[in-house]
Amino acid sequence: MLAPPPSPRAPGPWALRGLVLGTLALAVALQLMTEAGILPEVLNPYYLHLLTVVGMNIILVASLNLLNGYLGEFALGHAGFMGVGAYAAALLAARVLPPPSSLPPFLGPLLLLLPTLAAAMAAAAAAGYLVGRATFKTVGDYLSIITLGFNMIIVNVIQNIDAVGGPRGFTGIPRNTGFAAVAACTLLTLAVLRALVQSSYGRVWLSIRENPLAAEVMGVDVNRAKLQAFTIAAAFAGLAGGLWAQYQQFITPRSFDYIKTTEILVMLYLGGMASLSGSILGVVAYTLMMELLRNLLGAFAPQLAEWRMILSPLILILVMLTRPSGLMGHREWRWLRPRGRS
Amino acid sequence: METVVQQLLNAAQLGAVYALIALGYSMVYGVIRLINFAHGDIFMVGGFAGLLLALRFTWMPLWALMPLAMLLTALLGVAIERVAYRRLRQAQRMSLVITALGVGIFLENLVRLGVGPETRQIPSRMPTTPVAWLQDALGVSVTWDKLLIIFVSLALMALLWAVVHRTLLGTAMRAVADDKDVVPLMGVNLNRVIAVTFAIGSALAAAGGVFFGQAYSLDPYMGIDLGWKAFIAAVIGGIGSIEGAVLGSFLLAGVEVLTVAYLSSNLKNGIAFGLLILLLLIWPSGLLGRPASKKV
Repeated sequence: MLAPPPSPRAPGPWALRGLVLGTLALAVALQLMTEAGILPEVLNPYYLHLLTVVGMNIILVASLNLLNGYLGEFALGHAGFMGVGAYAAALLAARVLPPPSSLPPFLGPLLLLLPTLAAAMAAAAAAGYLVGRATFKTVGDYLSIITLGFNMIIVNVIQNIDAVGGPRGFTGIPRNTGFAAVAACTLLTLAVLRALVQSSYGRVWLSIRENPLAAEVMGVDVNRAKLQAFTIAAAFAGLAGGLWAQYQQFITPRSFDYIKTTEILVMLYLGGMASLSGSILGVVAYTLMMELLRNLLGAFAPQLAEWRMILSPLILILVMLTRPSGLMGHREWRWLRPRGRS
Repeated sequence: METVVQQLLNAAQLGAVYALIALGYSMVYGVIRLINFAHGDIFMVGGFAGLLLALRFTWMPLWALMPLAMLLTALLGVAIERVAYRRLRQAQRMSLVITALGVGIFLENLVRLGVGPETRQIPSRMPTTPVAWLQDALGVSVTWDKLLIIFVSLALMALLWAVVHRTLLGTAMRAVADDKDVVPLMGVNLNRVIAVTFAIGSALAAAGGVFFGQAYSLDPYMGIDLGWKAFIAAVIGGIGSIEGAVLGSFLLAGVEVLTVAYLSSNLKNGIAFGLLILLLLIWPSGLLGRPASKKV
């Protein structure tokens, strides 16, 4: 028999390798620009800060999309995983590893980032595994409550550990991240998630979302797939947490409670379900909306800027009423679609 | 022994407020399968409606003030359903949930900008004198306002139970909860049943808000915390069930109050939610809820 002709646009291993190398090159370039003082010249530091936060939020939203969009559950505890990652990274960076000042200027932060981010992802993945285990017996809204409950418990447990500052928060974390590292992590996360959702893993998740019973009959191990999705999604939330801790240099348990979860959810649903493009767009649109409202209203009168807190939920409601599946629900931009298919 | 009785009394007061909120979650969930994330904020608005009425009409007694606050909040609940939820009823479920989240954030910030972020208390309109004979019998401090809160709440719950199980309207509500696609074919006005459900749920939450503002305090963001708690109480009891919501609320309040009294106030949330997860692992659809049907 003839082997099927290779599709001319099939992604080879070179695609991933190219992406990783390209991302690293970009990160190195950005980092060099930062250290030479060029980047702050080109981009106003405030915009740079916004872009950094956007990057971390994209990681959070895109990874939550695995659970809520592709697997079709309604997970309500993403900020908890982020918190686990943030505290793991903070502990390692502030208590175990040497301070960045004792290391060479360019390589130092990178050497510190790799172990701290790995620890953040591992710790959050372990938490995600536990939550995934706990959701085996429950479905639907009860599953949402379990994830929410875990989020609250994680925050409460951290509040009761004095070694990490308890409710007062964890201070003195070295600043090992900047725009360059966050940009690189965001791109890599999107690449990994894109590959995942288009792989057999992604197909299995979609099949569970569409009909768990049918999926089971077709031989899908539903519990195993759920567990995988929860672990992976949590790991990336932990990555965002690790970046966040080493960017802000100060974290408190309360910054990872359900208010943060709500913010992630709002950006996710604004962008749209089961769409990585939507996750990017949701975060960007939400951030832009908040900033534009602040500037527009503030231009009329400074005290009006506060009213953006009222206008932004109204805009969210309007978007949901006119586009119930979000801006990009179940659609992808061309460059995020699988190759070889339209 | 006395302190246990005292703590249980405190728990009953807190549980009564939880139950008033939890019922609204449960009823709305029953008829349109929506976790109404704005409900905690409706409770908060109800409390502030009571506060503003109490400040504006200083002569108004509680028995007039509370129904008025309940009426205003019921109108708000119906308006929210009409404007924000009705059009999404046939859409994907999660867009409705996010809309509800948006409504909640809107209410919080509206109240914060309108009334201010401070913590306030409704000037007391209830007798805070001790109940002498009960105090002598139990050996603990019992005041009239505590008893009033507990018993008025229980009376409201009993009234709700009677409405749902003994009237035509209640039958319609239970029918909608059972199958909202078939019921309109039987000549039931679906929109009206849903509107009434929102009105009743919001009014009960407002009663809880007024009580809470008298017994504890009010602030624009309290709806988030208490809303989640009440929601969890409804889930523990089995969401969609009136008895379950009440049972879950008293259970949750009891666990919380006893944890604060005998362990540590820092562990309150952790223990409450640990219990929640444990209960759900044993009874996956709550204590009194209908088991989630698995099609085979």
